[in-house]
Amino acid sequence: MMMTHPDLLESPETDLSISLDTPWLVVVHNDPVNLMSYVSMVFRRVFGWSRERSEHHMMEVHTKGRSVVWSGGREKAELYVQQLHSFLLLATMERAKH
Amino acid sequence: MNFEISKRGNPHFSKIHPFLADLIKEVAEDPWEDYPEGGSRLLPPPGTDEELLMDWADHVQPDLRRRFQEDRLLVSHDIGTMKLGKGKHPVWSLEIPEDHVDAWLTTLNALRLAIVTEHGFSEEQLAHKTAPDLSTLHGIALLKVNFYAFLQECLLQGMELGNDDGAGSGDENGGDENGDALNSD
Repeated sequence: MMMTHPDLLESPETDLSISLDTPWLVVVHNDPVNLMSYVSMVFRRVFGWSRERSEHHMMEVHTKGRSVVWSGGREKAELYVQQLHSFLLLATMERAKH
Repeated sequence: MNFEISKRGNPHFSKIHPFLADLIKEVAEDPWEDYPEGGSRLLPPPGTDEELLMDWADHVQPDLRRRFQEDRLLVSHDIGTMKLGKGKHPVWSLEIPEDHVDAWLTTLNALRLAIVTEHGFSEEQLAHKTAPDLSTLHGIALLKVNFYAFLQECLLQGMELGNDDGAGSGDENGGDENGDALNSD
């Protein structure tokens, strides 16, 4: 999947168990209100990422307006979006394009 | 106003001016009630898929709203423990239990988002470095947004001091493939 969307998927998490289905992408969008340190903390909390990886995606949100933070099955994508919403981040899920 | 981590490991604000104490006391207000237009930002749509939107409205959003309410109740409780010092010019202090910090961060964020959406502040207005005009409601709202951001930053830095990068450390590849990465700390 990363080969087909190199412009979108820089380093998303991927659930390999559902690789035969069209995956869903979890996208976090920029919001000028959310503090950068807060967004980074949320990424660490939700995805268990290191500080460096969290800050990389936070900066991608900040500079590019959005960052794909995960890809995989719908059910798990919903869970992640719900978790990100619980921290009030602007997160959506969308189908990966063929 | 001073900020430190107490000997008990809790975030502790001291020497809080009465004006700022009043702003802190407003943190637990219901954003849906006080900022009806801004409240819409707190439950954003998860995408454009119609089935997903219906499911979200029926199940997820009520649950999120309930959790925000629970967080506000914790914050409200902590505000009730604020102490007023003695002397000619008494100041306030507030100690936040460590396990309430997440509730504070979420509640502060919700309030800031609601205020900004309600007043339509632009990114440029939020980033400006001059003092807001406190003779207008608009200016007071901007002061609140910035002050609450300051409180958030203090709490986030306090967490950093307490955790010393505990979350996600040693997990550079992401922990999701094993299904155990949620709320890792």
